[in-house]
Amino acid sequence: MKIKRSGSALAEADMTPMIDLVFQLVAFFMIVTNFDQQQADERVKLPVDQLAQPRQEARKYEITVNMGFIRDAEGRILSQPLVMNPETGEVDVLTYGKTQLPREAAIARAQGGDEQVSKTTIAIRADAEFPTGLVQELIKLAQEAGFSKFSLKAMAGEE
Amino acid sequence: MKIRYRPDEAKVEIQMSSMIDIVFQLLIFFMLTLKIVAEEGDFDINMPIGQAASSAPPELKVEYKVRLLADADGNLRDIRVGDKSLGAQVPHSFNLLNNDVRGWASSGGTYSDDLEVEIDADYNLHYQYVIKAISACTGFVQGDRKIKFLEKIKFAPPRRPAGG
Repeated sequence: MKIKRSGSALAEADMTPMIDLVFQLVAFFMIVTNFDQQQADERVKLPVDQLAQPRQEARKYEITVNMGFIRDAEGRILSQPLVMNPETGEVDVLTYGKTQLPREAAIARAQGGDEQVSKTTIAIRADAEFPTGLVQELIKLAQEAGFSKFSLKAMAGEE
Repeated sequence: MKIRYRPDEAKVEIQMSSMIDIVFQLLIFFMLTLKIVAEEGDFDINMPIGQAASSAPPELKVEYKVRLLADADGNLRDIRVGDKSLGAQVPHSFNLLNNDVRGWASSGGTYSDDLEVEIDADYNLHYQYVIKAISACTGFVQGDRKIKFLEKIKFAPPRRPAGG
């Protein structure tokens, strides 16, 4: 048998299919990555409901309030009900409602007047085991601060 | 000026390696920032101040009141609509509630814009039951479709524990 030997010692790999594939992967991860939910606190175990509808478009003015507990690795509750705020850390619900919400309202008012306050939605992400009364207290304090739109978050899907 | 023409160098080789470096960096960035979370949905509630108070002026709204009772641990003890007790079985009692609200919403002959559900829950009741009640009062799932028949939900004033 005759074996042909090519003259070139340097083998050039064809990069094109690999680049195609890598671009596909980059595009996939860019689309799948969701930067909207940065305000969500992972410690909050949201209730699950099949009727919870994900929003088609994001709201322009939204303040997310994470309400939950500090839990151990097995999920046992270790703390009082708390608001988990990325700026102030964990604070008591009533303290948050009385200090932080009026501050948020003042910021919104400074940016766009009373109209912006009324357009701002308070998105409540409360833990499934959170006492309802405290969620209501927070809504009441938010109303006193000037907010009127609320949205209660739940995980979409079957239990 | 002298222009050099080299007919033997028609094929220009592009340097791919730097581009590949950047593309790999991008790929790794997006892979690391990816957080797989279940989709979150929400229930909208419009509650301007004064509406929750019992002294609000009487409006032309037709109201349906759901009372959710809790035991000492915050679990559901009973769902009551008027004098009717619907029990505390999940999801059976919430299905009963859903049927009841649907019957009520379709019987009045009014537009659903005028219908409103008020949820009156015990202070220590776990929040998940309130979400279930809101879900049962606003819509249902038929096959793959989610049908909403009512939009307006409000809360009764919180029932603070005695001495609290």
